[in-house]
Amino acid sequence: MSVKMAAPILRSCLGRALAGPHDIGRTKPAWLAMALVAISFLSYPAIASSFSATNVAYYLLNIPMAFGLSLLWGYGGVLSFGQVAFFAVSGYVYGIVSGNFPDATWATWAGSLAGLAAAAALAAALGYFIFYARVAAWIVPILTLVLALLLNTFLGLTAGAQWTIGQVALGGYNGMTGIPAFQIGSFVFQDYAFYYLVLGVVLVSFVGLRAFVNSHRGQVLMAIREDVIRTELLGYDVRLEQLFVFVLAAVLSGISGLLYVQWGNYITPSVTSLQQAALPVIWVAVAGRDSLLAVAIVTFLLNQLSYILSSAGNQYALVIIGVFLVAVMLFAPEGIVLRLVRLAQRFRIRKTEVA
Amino acid sequence: MNEETTPPNGAPGPTRRTVLVTAGAAAATVALARPSIVRAASEKSVKIGFIEDQSGNLSIYGIQKLHAAQLAVQEINDGYTLAGGPVGMGVLGSYGLYAPNPPTLTTSGGTLNVVSDGGTPSNKAVVTSDTDEILVSSGEKGLLGQPLQLISADGQSNNILWQQLARRMIQQDRVDVLFAGFASAEREAIRPIVDQHKQLYFYTNQYEGGVADSYTFCTGAVPEQQVIPVMQYMVEKFGPKIFTIAANYNFGQLTAAWVRSFAPVLKAQVIAEEFPPLDVSEFSSVIARVQAAKPDWVMTLLVGQNQSNYYPQAAAAGLHLPMASTINMAQGYEHKRFKPPSLANMHNAVNYMQEIPTKRNQDFVQRFYKMFPNDPYLGQMAQNTYFSIHLYAKAARLAGTTDQETVRKTLEAGWSIEAPEGTVFLEPGTHHASHYIRLAVANEQQQISFARDWSSIAPWWLQRLGVNLVRTPEHKQYTPAEDPFFKMFAPA
Amino acid sequence: MADTISILYQFGTNASFLLLCALGLIVILGMMNIINLAHGEFMMLGAYTASAAVHQGIPLPLAVLLAAAAVGLFGVILERLIVQHFYGRELGALVVTWGISLILAQGALLAFGPFMPPIAIPGGSISVGVYSFSIYWLFLIVFCVVLLAGLAWVYRATNFGLEARAAMQNPAMARALGIRVNRIYMITFGIGSALAGLSGALLAPTTSIAPFMGQQFVAPAFITVVVGGGASVIGGAVGSSALLSLVETPVSFLLGSFWGSVALLVTALVVIRILPGGVSSLGRRLLPRLAR
Repeated sequence: MSVKMAAPILRSCLGRALAGPHDIGRTKPAWLAMALVAISFLSYPAIASSFSATNVAYYLLNIPMAFGLSLLWGYGGVLSFGQVAFFAVSGYVYGIVSGNFPDATWATWAGSLAGLAAAAALAAALGYFIFYARVAAWIVPILTLVLALLLNTFLGLTAGAQWTIGQVALGGYNGMTGIPAFQIGSFVFQDYAFYYLVLGVVLVSFVGLRAFVNSHRGQVLMAIREDVIRTELLGYDVRLEQLFVFVLAAVLSGISGLLYVQWGNYITPSVTSLQQAALPVIWVAVAGRDSLLAVAIVTFLLNQLSYILSSAGNQYALVIIGVFLVAVMLFAPEGIVLRLVRLAQRFRIRKTEVA
Repeated sequence: MNEETTPPNGAPGPTRRTVLVTAGAAAATVALARPSIVRAASEKSVKIGFIEDQSGNLSIYGIQKLHAAQLAVQEINDGYTLAGGPVGMGVLGSYGLYAPNPPTLTTSGGTLNVVSDGGTPSNKAVVTSDTDEILVSSGEKGLLGQPLQLISADGQSNNILWQQLARRMIQQDRVDVLFAGFASAEREAIRPIVDQHKQLYFYTNQYEGGVADSYTFCTGAVPEQQVIPVMQYMVEKFGPKIFTIAANYNFGQLTAAWVRSFAPVLKAQVIAEEFPPLDVSEFSSVIARVQAAKPDWVMTLLVGQNQSNYYPQAAAAGLHLPMASTINMAQGYEHKRFKPPSLANMHNAVNYMQEIPTKRNQDFVQRFYKMFPNDPYLGQMAQNTYFSIHLYAKAARLAGTTDQETVRKTLEAGWSIEAPEGTVFLEPGTHHASHYIRLAVANEQQQISFARDWSSIAPWWLQRLGVNLVRTPEHKQYTPAEDPFFKMFAPA
Repeated sequence: MADTISILYQFGTNASFLLLCALGLIVILGMMNIINLAHGEFMMLGAYTASAAVHQGIPLPLAVLLAAAAVGLFGVILERLIVQHFYGRELGALVVTWGISLILAQGALLAFGPFMPPIAIPGGSISVGVYSFSIYWLFLIVFCVVLLAGLAWVYRATNFGLEARAAMQNPAMARALGIRVNRIYMITFGIGSALAGLSGALLAPTTSIAPFMGQQFVAPAFITVVVGGGASVIGGAVGSSALLSLVETPVSFLLGSFWGSVALLVTALVVIRILPGGVSSLGRRLLPRLAR
C-alpha cells in the first residue's frame, strides 16, 4: 500500500479518529503491522485443525471484556473487580432465553440482546449506588468484587427444581448445559465459523472503541480520570459519564460472556469466582491499562500461556501469573507493552543522537 | 490519580522499528497458537484419557483416583484382570460369612501388616460371590496386544481448563476411552463435548443420580443405593424426627429432596431443613437451629472443606446427636482428618471404604499401598476408578477392538465384575452399576465398623423413569422434579 | 430466656467473626489508605503457623502468639520490599497485593499440600436450657473486647500512638515535625499483618486449614471495612461489626445464611450511599457537636 493511496484514507474522519493520540500504534508502519497480524489471524484456519482454531477462539473471546476494563480503569480511572459478574449474567440470560425457544431461528438473536440488556441493567443499578454516592476510589473495586462473589454464591444455590425458567434449569453448581450456538437463519456458528465470528467481533469492537477513546467523549473520560473536580467545574456531569462507561464496560463483558457460552455450550457459577474475577485485572494491568492495543495483545498471550502451562501439567501457572503481576506493577507500572515500546523508542533516540 | 506518564498530544508515536518488532512478536505467537507440545505418538498403545484435579481444592480426591488408575493400568499391563464377565440378567448368590470388625492395619517401613483379622466370623449374609482371589490372569500382557497408556491431565479445579483439556484429549490425543470428573460440575462441563464427538466416557464418582447419556457410563453409587438404606437404619435405631443440613448446591439440594420424599414411606418426618451456601464456614446459627428443633438424628449432606467445619464446631458446642450422611468419610476421609469426637456417631451407607474387612479388599488395599505407600487414604471413587478401568479392558478384549462404538455396545451386554467391594453389575439400560452397600459407623474414637449390609442394590431410579439407552439414545440428566413419585407422599 | 441468650450469643459470635476478619485490614486502611487484598492469605499463614506449632507440641496460646509474630514479621518484609512503593497509589496497591495473594495461596498449596492437620477446638461447652454454647467462642468474644481495648490504649496512650494519629491526619505536617512517617507506616503494616495472623490462628480451630481458606474471610472482611470506613480505626471497627451483625444475625436465623450474606451486601450499599465515609466518619461528625 503506497503512501499516496493511504493518505486520503487516513485523512478521513474515521482515519483521524483511529489515529488519534489516545492509543499506541499510530504510524503507518504500525498500521501495516496490524494489518499483517489481522491477515494472519484471518488465514489461520487454513493451516490449523478445528481443535486449534477453537482454542485460539477462546483466547480471543476474552478480549472484549479486557477492553471494557481498560476503558473503565485505564481511561476512566475506576477499577472494577466485578467485570466477570456481567460476563456471567449475560451468559446465563442468553442460555435461558435461547434455550426456551429451541426451534426458532431468531432465538439466539433474542438471547444475545437479552443477555446484553441484562448486563447493562445490572450495571446501571449498581452504578447508580456507586457513582451517585461519590465514594472513595478504593470502595469501587471492593464492592464490585463482593458483587461478583455474591452472584457466584447465588447462582450456586439454583440447583433445585424450582429454579427452572421455562424449560431451562439454572442448574446451580452443575451449571447450565446444552446452550445453543449462535445462528443466523439456519447457519449455525461452530468450529471454524465460530472462530471467524469471534475474530470479527474482536476486530469490530477494537475499531469502534478506538474511535470512541479518540472522540470528545473519550477526552472527557480521561479528564475525569485526571481530576474529577476540575472536569465538573468545566460543566460535565461526572457521575453520568462514569455511569455510562461503567455500563459500556458491562456490555463489553457481556459480549465476552455470550461468546463464551457459544464456545463451550456450558456455563457455571465458577466463571464469577474469586480467581476468575482476578484475571481481567491481571491482563489489563500487565498490558498497560490505557492502551487498547496493548490490552488486546497481552490478553491473548496470557490466555495462551495459561493454557500451554496448564495443559502440560504445570501447576505453577497461577503462581507464575501472580509473579508476573507483581513484577510488572513494581518495575513497569505503565504496563509491559508500553514499557517495551518506550524503551525501544529511547534506544532509537539515543542512537540518532549519537549518530 | 494517573501516576504513570503518557506521551503528550502530538508527540511521535512508536517508531517503525519498534512496531515491526512488536508485530513480528505477534506473528510469531500466531504460529505459536498451534500447541507446541509434541506427543510421542510413535508407539502404538491403547490410550486411556484421564482428567482429574491434581491441584486445587479437589486434589485430595483427584490424586487418589489417579493412583488407583495407575494401579489398574499396571495390573493390566502385567497380565492381570478382575474376575467377572458379561451376563444377561442378575448374578448368582451364595451364603457366606464375614468378620464383624475391621482388621487393624499398621505400616512400617513401607509394608502393610495385617495385625488382626477382625475376630471370629460370625455375621451371616448373602454374598454374591465369596471368592477371595479376584485378581486373575488375563492371558495377555496389555490389551489386544498393545500396552495400556494412561494419558493424564490436571484440571486444576478450573471448569474452563476442564473443557479445554477434554477437547484436547478427544480431538488431539484421540483417546480410546475417557475417565474424568469428580464433581458433577466437571462432568457436566465436559459432557456436551463428549456427546458432540461421540466419545466413550466413564464417570466413576458417587453423585446425585439421573444422568442418562448414551456415551456415559456412571459407575459410582447413586442416592437410591445410599440414602434409603441409611435412612432406614437411622429411623429404626434412633427415631423418626430428622433435621437435614445440606449444602446449598446441586448434590445437597437433590439428595435432600430424596430424604424429604422417602421419609413418609419410612414413617419418618423431616422436621426442618437448612441449606448453608458452600462458602459458609461459621455454623453457630445452624447449630442453634438444630438445638431448637430437637430432632432424633441429623442428616448432614455437607460438601467441601468450608462446610466440613460444621463437625468440629458442633462437637465443641456440645451437639452430640447421631448423624447420617452419604458422602462423608468414604470420600474425604474426615474421620482421619478431624480430631475425635467431631465425627463420632456418624453413619454412612457406602459402597466402599478402605476399612472393609473382606480378604479380597484387604489384598487390594495392600497392593495399593505397596505402590503408593505415602497416600493418606483409599476412598470409594478411587476403587470405582480401579474396577471401571478393568471393566473397560475386559469389554474391549471381548469386543476384539478398541473402536469406541463397538466397545460401547459390548458394555451394554450387561457385565458383572468382582470388585474389591464385592460383585458389581453394570446395568445395560441405564449405564449405571449395582453396588454392594454397607452401613459404616464411626465410634467415639472415629474407628469404623460395619453394622449392616445389603449385598446388591440396583440403580432402579432411572429404570422407573423409563430410561433404556440401548433402545432410545438420550443425553440428559434427570432430576427428582421429573419423577411424580417425589410428590406422591408429601405431607399435605 | 434461653432463647434470648442464644440470640445474644449468635450476635456476639457473628460480630466477633467480622471483627477478627477485618481488624488487620482496618488498621492498615486507616493509616495508609490502602487495602491489603492479601489479607485473607495472611490469615491463612497465621492458621498454618499455628497448626504447625501445635503439632510440634507447643500449647495453643503460645502457638497463636507465635503465629501473630511470624505473620507480622512477614508483613514487615513484604512492606519494605513491595508495598512501600505504592503509598499514594491506592489502586496500584490493590492490584499488587492481589498478585501477592495469588502467589501465597497457590504457593501454600504447592508447598504444603491440600490441607494441614486440624487443631482441636479447646474447651467444652456449657448448656443453658436446650441450647449449648461453645466455651471457645465465648472466649473469642471476650478476647475481641480486650483486643480492641488494647489497640485503643496503644493509639491513645503511647508515644507511638500519638505519632501514628498525627501521621494519619496529616503526613506532610508530621514529617515536618520530625516524625519518621515511613517507619510508622512500616510498623503499622506489621501490626495489621500481625493482627491478621492472630485472627487466622484464633479462627483456625473452627475451620479446616487449607490453602484457599482465606477466601471465606475475604468477603466479610471487605464488607466490614467498607461499612466502617477509614476515618477512625476503633470506631470504624466496632461500629461496623456491630451494625452488620445486628443486620445479619436475625436474617441468618430466620432465613438462612445465604440471605444473611445478601443482607450484609445490601447494608453496605445503603450505608455508603448515606455515609460515604463509612460509619467511622459518623463519629467524626458527631464528636465536635458533643464537645460543644
